[in-house]
Amino acid sequence: MNPNQQSSAFNLQPGTCNLQHHLSRRQLLKGTVVTAGGMAVANWGALFHSQTIAAEARRTGKRCIMLYMEGGVSQIDTFDMKPDRPTAGEFRPVQTKIPGIQVCEFLPNIARHADKLAIIRSMRTKTPDHGPGGYYMHTGYHPSERFPHPEAGAMIAKYCENPESDLPSFVKIGSSSGIYGAGYLGPQYDPFVLGDDGRLPGFANPSVAPEIQSRRGELLSFMEQRFAEQRPGDPFASHRTAELRTIRLMRARQTFDVSAEWEKAKDRYGDTQFGRGCFTALKLVEAGVSFVEVGHAGHDTHMNNFPISKALYSTMDPAWGSLLDDLTQRGLLQDTLVVWTSEFGRTPAINVRAGRDHFGRAWTVVLAGGGIKGGQHYGSTDPDGFEVAENPVSEADYIATIYKAMGVDHRAKHYLGTRPIWATAEGSKPIEELLG
Amino acid sequence: MCNHEESRQPNAPARDPRFASPAIGALVPLLALRASVLCIVFLLPTLTRGQDGALRDTIDREVKAAWAKDNLAAPERSTDSVFLRRIYLDLVGMIPTYEEATAFLGDADPQKREKLIDKLLADPRYARNQAQVWDVNLLGRNPQGIRSTNRDAFRNWLATHFEQNVPYDRIVHKLLKAEEDNSKLFYVAYRNSDDLTTTAMRFFLGTQLQCAKCHDHPYESWTQQDYYGMAGFFVRTYVVETDGANEHIKKFYVGEKSTGDVSFTVLPKDAQPGTKGEPVKPRFLGGEELQEPELPADFKEPKVEPKQAPPKPLFSRREKIVEWITAKDNPYLARAAVNRIWAQFMGRGFVHPVDDFNSENDPSHPELLKAIEAGFIAHQFDLKWLIREIVNSAAYQAADVGPVTDALPKYYERARIRPLSVEELTASLHIATGLGVEAALKSKPSGDMLKYLGDPTDGQGRFQGSLTEHLFIHNGDTFRGLCYPRNGNLAETLLKSEEDWNAKVERMFLSVLSRTPTTEERERFVNYLNVDPKDTKLESQRMEEALWVLVATSEFRFSR
Repeated sequence: MNPNQQSSAFNLQPGTCNLQHHLSRRQLLKGTVVTAGGMAVANWGALFHSQTIAAEARRTGKRCIMLYMEGGVSQIDTFDMKPDRPTAGEFRPVQTKIPGIQVCEFLPNIARHADKLAIIRSMRTKTPDHGPGGYYMHTGYHPSERFPHPEAGAMIAKYCENPESDLPSFVKIGSSSGIYGAGYLGPQYDPFVLGDDGRLPGFANPSVAPEIQSRRGELLSFMEQRFAEQRPGDPFASHRTAELRTIRLMRARQTFDVSAEWEKAKDRYGDTQFGRGCFTALKLVEAGVSFVEVGHAGHDTHMNNFPISKALYSTMDPAWGSLLDDLTQRGLLQDTLVVWTSEFGRTPAINVRAGRDHFGRAWTVVLAGGGIKGGQHYGSTDPDGFEVAENPVSEADYIATIYKAMGVDHRAKHYLGTRPIWATAEGSKPIEELLG
Repeated sequence: MCNHEESRQPNAPARDPRFASPAIGALVPLLALRASVLCIVFLLPTLTRGQDGALRDTIDREVKAAWAKDNLAAPERSTDSVFLRRIYLDLVGMIPTYEEATAFLGDADPQKREKLIDKLLADPRYARNQAQVWDVNLLGRNPQGIRSTNRDAFRNWLATHFEQNVPYDRIVHKLLKAEEDNSKLFYVAYRNSDDLTTTAMRFFLGTQLQCAKCHDHPYESWTQQDYYGMAGFFVRTYVVETDGANEHIKKFYVGEKSTGDVSFTVLPKDAQPGTKGEPVKPRFLGGEELQEPELPADFKEPKVEPKQAPPKPLFSRREKIVEWITAKDNPYLARAAVNRIWAQFMGRGFVHPVDDFNSENDPSHPELLKAIEAGFIAHQFDLKWLIREIVNSAAYQAADVGPVTDALPKYYERARIRPLSVEELTASLHIATGLGVEAALKSKPSGDMLKYLGDPTDGQGRFQGSLTEHLFIHNGDTFRGLCYPRNGNLAETLLKSEEDWNAKVERMFLSVLSRTPTTEERERFVNYLNVDPKDTKLESQRMEEALWVLVATSEFRFSR
């Protein structure tokens, strides 16, 4: 046996990455882990539950970026405009290059991408409260069920993750759009949360010098290896796997440092946290992360809707538009689904403080990229935007559409104890018209 | 609350209580009740006739029989050091100190395990640990609206009862009566009748009724009427908060109105506009409807004054359900308790998940479950007796090695593997790094520990490691901070000691892992630590690193 193989198997030394020492999960899956005596460790395969191996087989290579407009984004001021109606408000629509698709005058960058957008104007959702709305739009389930449903990012991480990647499979940039977690899928698929500007949390940086990490890592590897020889238990394996992933994340942490490239990109994306977040999301999916969520806060415009929204769009539009530009240019868009969403929309009626309030009865989300047929509307609302006129879409339908576009079975069955539980609820339907 | 989509959906007219015929399902539990009474009658003579060791022998006989039946290899007996660490964590919630470990390992008495068990059951840490386990199981990690001071007081209240070994049914009775100060958090954590009903049924009776809220139970004979019948006992209960003895603690009263019923409605999606639910009479699960006096015609609910003790109800439904739950002949109480306590020590209940008895979820060792249940009742719900019997069994003392990968082997063919709870981990880090039992007892898990190591399971109780847990262990201050030599901790003591490196390494291993190092390990650690003695900075640094390695191992993270 090659002695290097032996040391690589338990190499827990951050900062000493070289190709020979690099432990990939595929190597582990192939069972190439060897003990000091040169004997293959029986059942290291238990590191990977059978579902994980199956997940790898089903791996789609697709990625998703979710742009989450926190607070409830206005549909009527963006993609479902009602010119000349009492509910129209102050903004004017402009015609895009796609006949029939008009968008707000303050979304010029997104307007350029109209051919890529699938605009669902008929979201009909069940809760007008931020907390439950956020839960519902992230999981497809009502929070009162009290089962720990995973958010879409965790489900997609489970089924689409790249086992070769050193990076976490589910990343959230900022936590303001809510952390709903991996629920019954477990912490392996919990979001790895970055700062609002996309920077790594402090404790991701090694606390001791590289040579110390290296030597103590070697000693830890030695202990873990002796212990594992007689103890193939799943929890120990899960613990070691997580540790190896952590070490690899620390090695790969440079991926999160986009500062140098950001200097060149910031004029296009806008020099804002959201802009930088979108750019970081681009870099992360390019590096193999399956799901990245970027939050954009402040859409809860109960007062002064118009000046506030205009300012919000001025940060949102260039970042979103440039993200689509760059994904297209790098050939990533066909495999990257970009979702623009929120916990609900805003009332067509304008209140006495010139604001719009919470509204779930008829609102809009927008999909683009991987698996989506662009340049179309789906569903519509009545002339003033108070009700869905055709093709209502529920939270679960929306999540099912995302799953289908990502190649994930929206009715994938899991178990909570002995109880079956489905990725999206019975009766949920992906919107076939949008899927390319 | 439930997710059985492929289950029977309620058919509104047939479920109308006015047309309800006596539910056949209701007879089943009654039969079960008779069966369990019969069973007690038959088993009692053998149990009371035997020595106090009767139950542990029954356990080993039955567990062994299951191995034989399934052609499973019987495990070896655990080594002394594996047993030592396991029993300390299970009974007192922390690893043994260096002194405790060496005393036990050096003892040549063949009865030393039994003696240690008796000693630990009498240790005040037993009550404290048992209270922690109950508190987290009953209230969860993050109950809403409960201050940590109130929670500490509740844990102390529980600990007092475990210390005095108050019978299990009496503790449950007091907890549900909620009359004493600091005993009331169950009602504070679960404030509406749905949560109260569901949790009381699940926790105390091992019965999951929540599915029957929306539709008849798919796997069980429970109907929606059963669910609403039980919810009716809790629907009048409410909590009043006042300021406590000081500003940091709240005082609670659990009140009850004299009026109010649960309404049975169809699912919201099936409801027609304008339909009202039918009030449902309280009915004991699988039993009779509650007989309650008529309210006076002119009765008016007295006003509940904020921040004051609430008025007493004319008739207390809650009292009736508490008496029923904790009655000696309740068919569910003892069964649920022994399954839960067995699972606490053996990793897996005979029925798994631990609180899900149903006709589709057969116990792994049905005869043994019955025998333990009967013994527990015959011993007047004596918790210490039950725990003593379990941990003295060969089944509990099985080895931790073997080819089985499952964390909780169904037939106990290898010891269970469980992560240390965040309380155990915090206390054990203090012990491991030489700060002593007093410091460990005073320690509380930090917010970071709770956040990064608090709940590492996949939602079904299986351990799952996370990236943030390891980032925290590697780069956070907590683990490293305790390993750094200072204030007379183990690292400092070892640096100052005149002992040779072999002895020092031995002491490190005994302090952290409750075992001596293998030859290979000793050599490796001696090499690691034995640097130029004039370079005191490097010496300290190496000491911190070596200790950190030991507390960062899987061996430290889990109990096995």
